Amino acid sequence: MYIKDLYAISPQKTHDLSFENGDWLVFNEFIYKAIEPSYQDIIPASQLRRMGKAVRMGIGVSLPLMGRNPKPDGIIFGTANGGLEDCIKFLNQIVEYNEGTLTPTNFVQSTPNALAGQVALISENMGYNITHVNGSLAFESALLDASLFFDEHGQEEKTILLGAVEEISDYNYNIDHLGKRFKQELVSNEDLLYSNTPGSYCGEGSTQFFLSNNPEKSLAKFSALKQSSCLSKNEIGDFVLSFLAEQNMNPEDVDCLLLGKNGDSLTDSWYDELAKPFGDKPTVYFKKSVGEYRTVSAFASYLAVQLLNGKAHHLIENGAAAEPRTILIYNHFDAVRHSLILIQK
Amino acid sequence: MTTNREELIVEFKEHLIKYLNLLDLTPADIKNDEVLFGGDLGLDSIDSVELIVLLDREYGIKIKNPTEGRQILVDVNTIVDYIVANRTK
Repeated sequence: MYIKDLYAISPQKTHDLSFENGDWLVFNEFIYKAIEPSYQDIIPASQLRRMGKAVRMGIGVSLPLMGRNPKPDGIIFGTANGGLEDCIKFLNQIVEYNEGTLTPTNFVQSTPNALAGQVALISENMGYNITHVNGSLAFESALLDASLFFDEHGQEEKTILLGAVEEISDYNYNIDHLGKRFKQELVSNEDLLYSNTPGSYCGEGSTQFFLSNNPEKSLAKFSALKQSSCLSKNEIGDFVLSFLAEQNMNPEDVDCLLLGKNGDSLTDSWYDELAKPFGDKPTVYFKKSVGEYRTVSAFASYLAVQLLNGKAHHLIENGAAAEPRTILIYNHFDAVRHSLILIQK
Repeated sequence: MTTNREELIVEFKEHLIKYLNLLDLTPADIKNDEVLFGGDLGLDSIDSVELIVLLDREYGIKIKNPTEGRQILVDVNTIVDYIVANRTK
């Protein structure tokens, strides 16, 4: 699957490409909120007033991307929670108004597939349209689906808009915070990995890719994907080595690692375990930039494509990767759901 | 409960802006005789459901007959007239 184009709204300034060109925002906050562009020139006001944040961010990424590319044959999104804020508003209304007359907008906006539907409606796209909601592997499921879509169509040239979106909901953040998923104390994202306390910081955003099975003028390609929900820490080495072996590769063939370390003292050791066979490979810890959320691997993929195209090298730690051509992303959520994504030039 | 008609008009417009998320408008921007549907406000069928919910929640008015609804949800004047005559709270 070849990546022809990409765009993201994130807590960093990806919307105006400052981030890719060396800008990096330092956060001293519990929540890393996405920096949203002005939507007035992108989304009609009559539609914008009904959009929740997830849909707004998603459309804000989709429309510029669709505007500079031909109409895709499919729209595939992944989101763990969709428009969670509006969803909870709607659920609260059911209680508040004793299951009486309910206002439709919150409901319309809160379904996870609202974004893919809105993109299709606005762009009059009648093609394949699906949203994967497989929790913290939702983006990986969407990626797998895109791969199957291209396989199904053989040599016939096809294109897909692939993406992910996640928003921070106040209600849900509070629940997760009480559950100690997020840190109780404040540490700058510069020092996130040295905090030595449980939990991380919450992020959000939308990342999307314009994919094709035609390699011409591509920025990079999604080469392979592997996911698991049943791994123990002592199996993680075999997990990555067998993944590379399936691609006829070994750790030396990987130029740069993108690891999802998030400063959680309870689960960060999994990343150290995975990184052992790679020695001192150049590494990027992408959650220092955007925080933790369930479809953050889409942002990691975005970052990988930038690195493969000579951008965002200011984020590389453990030495420099002069011209990386092969990048491996490893991410896990709560040390339960794990994924490996291989992206190559 | 607001009983003065002018105050009621302003209150209703504030509800209208909140329920329909017309955040770039103020009550003064909405004329009392401005057609709500098919006019400059650009309201649509989903907004009509929001208006029905607004009338139920804020004024205890239930509109169940679609024909009746079309005669009430014309402009701010017709809605406020109906509120004055039928409100239960």
